[in-house]
Amino acid sequence: MESEEYGDANGLAGLLDMHRADLLRFLTARCGSPDEAEDIVQEMWIKVSGQAGGPITNGPIANGRAYLFRMANNLVLDRARGRRRSMQRERNWLEAEGGGVAHMPEDRTDPGEPADEIISREQEAQVLRDAIAALPEGAQRALRLYRFEEMGQKEIAEVMGISRSGVEKHLALAMKRLREALVGCGAFDAAASMGYGERSGGKPRMEQGQ
Amino acid sequence: MKSADDQILDEAARWHIASGDDAMDWDAFTQWLEADPRHAAAYDEVALTDGLLQEHRADLDAVAESSAELPAGAEDSSGEGADIIRPAFGKRLRWAGFAIAATLAAVLAIPQFMVPAAQVYETTGAAREIALEDGSTIMLAPRSSLTVEGRHQDQMALSGGALFDIRHDPDRQLTISAGGLQISDIGTRFDVQAQDKRVRVSVVEGKVEVRSDSLAAPVRLAAGKGLSYDAAAGTAAVAPVRAEDVGAWRSGRLSYDDAPLALVAADLRRYAGVEVAVPDALRGRRFSGTLVISDGDAALRDLAQVMGLRLSGSAGAWRLEQPAR
Repeated sequence: MESEEYGDANGLAGLLDMHRADLLRFLTARCGSPDEAEDIVQEMWIKVSGQAGGPITNGPIANGRAYLFRMANNLVLDRARGRRRSMQRERNWLEAEGGGVAHMPEDRTDPGEPADEIISREQEAQVLRDAIAALPEGAQRALRLYRFEEMGQKEIAEVMGISRSGVEKHLALAMKRLREALVGCGAFDAAASMGYGERSGGKPRMEQGQ
Repeated sequence: MKSADDQILDEAARWHIASGDDAMDWDAFTQWLEADPRHAAAYDEVALTDGLLQEHRADLDAVAESSAELPAGAEDSSGEGADIIRPAFGKRLRWAGFAIAATLAAVLAIPQFMVPAAQVYETTGAAREIALEDGSTIMLAPRSSLTVEGRHQDQMALSGGALFDIRHDPDRQLTISAGGLQISDIGTRFDVQAQDKRVRVSVVEGKVEVRSDSLAAPVRLAAGKGLSYDAAAGTAAVAPVRAEDVGAWRSGRLSYDDAPLALVAADLRRYAGVEVAVPDALRGRRFSGTLVISDGDAALRDLAQVMGLRLSGSAGAWRLEQPAR
């Protein structure tokens, strides 16, 4: 027990301890709830202390810290994703139950999976497909390299012959446009997001441009 | 005019893109999130969008590929943002103004997503003063190295010795890792000596907090206290230190109170540039007193004399021995 703890002195568990306060602060800002932040740090603790001798025992501190923040950020995202899915299912179920109009009944053909799930997933794919096609070429190409070819931003800059910040801008624009398209079709109405969609919903969306 | 929501989404998208990079400034991101509750919501949507994109990757790949095989030259040659103003697309012209404003606003609002690269200071025979941006200073001992990282220059790693003179700033907390210890400072003046897994922390002014996995609880050191930590032996001891002895290496003196000989030898190597071997049997022997280090060989002779040991060998390869009785 002692030796294991000692072996992890420069590892993730030690780093987690060291940066606990910063991580909690980040997570609280990120999920808006100190309790959930605590929860996630606990989850991280289980993860990092489970992997004996952690994966980056001799990495520089700064990278280990970034690794932990990324891990925290991903855990928050996993939760948001799960919440969105289950709320979406619930909503679709309620609509179907209450005789409300569910989406695209003609798509409801495959009996293998819950129909509502299939519909929303197909819709999502379609919306994304259209939104990608409508992107300016630079942003579209950068996005394709980033997410479909899995290139790093530096590599994309080289391939496209533009600066790093140019790549960043292309990707940010792409993400923003895709988000707009998804919001436009109500993909986040049931999301975990704290009413952002509703708040901006009343205003004209000037960049939607389609 | 660009709406505030749009501005937030720009920032959220850029933070999300930056988060894939090792150099992401997580502290600045935290501050951005804290600044406005809408920030987290916007970020969630952008990140969820990217998540969906990756989930549907297989379905989308073909489409993206077919439409991306366009000549890229025209826009790429003119660099960043050039795709925004392209007359060939009637629609795009209409909002070109917004897009340009968006680009400018993004640049002004969040100039820095990345942490500046780490700075590494290394000394050989002479000490060196390092000035931090906030006015704090660090005197780095000879044969030592210090890495300074973080947006606020608040993450450091030390090997060797250094005297820290840190200005109090409630918004940042300096953390120094040295030989398995994490030392946090709250605006103060203190000295750290770290050799292998042996660390000494001596506080002249203010207070520091010392943590380690091998310590049951953090140790708070007030002015006039010093901590000797030995990771190999698993020991940590707090004892009083004299203010005038802390950092005295700068004026050519090393003072000890009941210090193990191995540690004194390591200091002589660092501060006086003199190599001396200490046999295992003598490593734990205790020394109290002051050594003048302007002449390393002389300091070594003084040490041997005070300890009743014999100095054998020759310059460059000294050896301390127990004299035969």
